[in-house]
Amino acid sequence: MWEAERLGVAVPAYASVLLRFDPLALAPADAEREAMRLALSARAAPAGTPRLVEIPTTYDGPDLADTASRSGLSVPELVAAHAGREYRAFFLGFMPGFAYCGTLDQRIVAPRLERPRQRVPAGSVAIADAQTGIYPLDSPGGWRLIGRTEVRCFDPERDPPVLIRAGDRVRFLAR
Amino acid sequence: MIRILASGARATIQDPGRFAHLRDGIPTSGPMDPFAFGAANALVGNALAAAALEIVGLPFSFVCEDRRLVVATGRDVALRGRDDIAGWTAAFARPGETYTVIGGAGARFAYLAISGGITAPPVLGSRAAYLPAGIGRALRVGDALPLGATRVDPDRAGAALAPPDLGASVRTIPGPHLDRFGEDAVAAFFDAAFRVEAASDRMGTRLAGPPVTAKGGEILTSGIVAGAVQVPSGGAPIVLLADHQTTGGYPVIATVIAADLGRVAQRLPGEVLRFARVDRERALAALRADRELLAAIA
Repeated sequence: MWEAERLGVAVPAYASVLLRFDPLALAPADAEREAMRLALSARAAPAGTPRLVEIPTTYDGPDLADTASRSGLSVPELVAAHAGREYRAFFLGFMPGFAYCGTLDQRIVAPRLERPRQRVPAGSVAIADAQTGIYPLDSPGGWRLIGRTEVRCFDPERDPPVLIRAGDRVRFLAR
Repeated sequence: MIRILASGARATIQDPGRFAHLRDGIPTSGPMDPFAFGAANALVGNALAAAALEIVGLPFSFVCEDRRLVVATGRDVALRGRDDIAGWTAAFARPGETYTVIGGAGARFAYLAISGGITAPPVLGSRAAYLPAGIGRALRVGDALPLGATRVDPDRAGAALAPPDLGASVRTIPGPHLDRFGEDAVAAFFDAAFRVEAASDRMGTRLAGPPVTAKGGEILTSGIVAGAVQVPSGGAPIVLLADHQTTGGYPVIATVIAADLGRVAQRLPGEVLRFARVDRERALAALRADRELLAAIA
């Protein structure tokens, strides 16, 4: 709504929306009043079934065995738990095309690595806390790597540039 | 068209930034020193949204195919042609003649604007390079960049602005998570003389100094802006800048005002950075003053 009324760009996250505006074109006090008005008039997300994005995944990540054993599960059980449910993409952040998806089967919830990796390869399928996601680019990262996919989550030459958008349903297909 | 004869350590095309894809997780990018960038465009008569070059690691040499106005801005920079031309001063570039952006010991982010602006094809609505995701690339010797059509206005040569100083401290308004920090921690933060770390980059300026301690741990990830002073659990603050992530999960103690972003970015590793508190009205007044200054010469 903020964007539809051309007030600026909105950046949604878990429990917040960042509303950007030009404070010389729209006084901060007026922006706050507009934000409050829009928040009060907001309704629940529109009805209809969101898009389903399927991610073919090879479960052979370097943290797979360790994450399974700390959950008291075998590797096939962890894979079944991860691939066995449909997730919701809550929002994108961290890097281009990185969708925070959840929530995980609570048996496989696990904290971030104590020592983040300097380089996580693009396409890594990972979990942290109750979330799961796919690294779109090579980058440092502290999530637990359980698998990989060849699906490209970010391509600046594509429109839209990202594969998964906020609100999409996401399913990992074990192979 | 301009052709690059010496590329510096890292030269990229930048415009004010890519704002339409924040919700896709794509950072805005754009210039590290927005005022120096805007001033460069204004001094050669470009729209403030025109694309120019950001250069790290001078010298940077180029040649123009036709007659253009050129200017170098940033910290401790000048332009060398047949004669030396001071930084922040527009000059004619004669066709076929070599010009070099040179820097002194204080140089960090230099800007080169050329009348007509750089008209390389935009990606996702912007010409701003974002190298970590392969949007744009570092320029290389031999690259030829297209320029927009322009009529060179002879009155503009010699137009100049005084280079802004770095300021003893950078001004901040209260951060969204200020209440996560105790009174003592906040007082210590504003008393501290932080030092800029060598690991600082286009994502942010990393600071070393007395650790800043938040009461809670991490916060629920939320959208974030340039200028946010994030405090990770180790207590070493990071001032987020042009290539910062679109969301963050660390508490933000203060936000550097828009007018002072360049004063953070232009500090070299080892230099001191202090923070000062201002209210929102003064933050807006500083931004308004900068914009009026640029509008007056544009």
